Amino acid sequence: MTEKKIRNIFVNGAVDPAFVASSIQKHNTKNSIGAHSIFLGQVRADVINDKTVTGIEYSSNEEMALTQMTGIREAIFAKYPLTCMHVHHSLGKVKAGEICLFVFTSSAHRKAAIDACEETVELIKSSLPIWGKEIFEDDSHQWKVNS
Amino acid sequence: MKTTVHFYGQLTDITQTPVLELEGIADTDSMIKDLLEKFPGLSQAKFSIAVDNSLVQNNTRLKDNTIIALMPPFSGG
Repeated sequence: MTEKKIRNIFVNGAVDPAFVASSIQKHNTKNSIGAHSIFLGQVRADVINDKTVTGIEYSSNEEMALTQMTGIREAIFAKYPLTCMHVHHSLGKVKAGEICLFVFTSSAHRKAAIDACEETVELIKSSLPIWGKEIFEDDSHQWKVNS
Repeated sequence: MKTTVHFYGQLTDITQTPVLELEGIADTDSMIKDLLEKFPGLSQAKFSIAVDNSLVQNNTRLKDNTIIALMPPFSGG
């Protein structure tokens, strides 16, 4: 029985746009790829009851999240002809305007990459045990609710 | 017999602690009863229960040194 490889998806703080660029760059030797699809989640400065969100502090049940993500990855690879998939999600504080989620799928043709990327984002938001605490400018907070 | 309960997300606003150790808890139903006495605010909260990283729906017997996770609706991304 082969052991499933558990990949760590978590990064401390925001996802650096330079990291996104270098991730794209790293694929230039994989010549079977004809399409990349990238989703970037960015923290919004929502205004709620006259208070502005300055950032989101993410926490997770990491062990369960990584196990769950391994299952999502297997299901997506079984459904779509992907060459590769990379997922990075923030933990800890991410300021408004910064990137908190980076999903990157690649395939020979565009439809698989686009559909797999969208489905993966939806599954991450609905089924990974991660919580976002929206911090306001006066240091009060409310807990994010996913629509 | 020891049970370690981890609280996540907004549940930590109610419990004011991310983790709690309980003694002599036989199953998840009696654990919830015990937790509701300690933290009445939990009765208003929505959460799922994982026993040693597996979600459970029904009352589940607990062994010694079980890890419990109480998890409110997810809000990642």
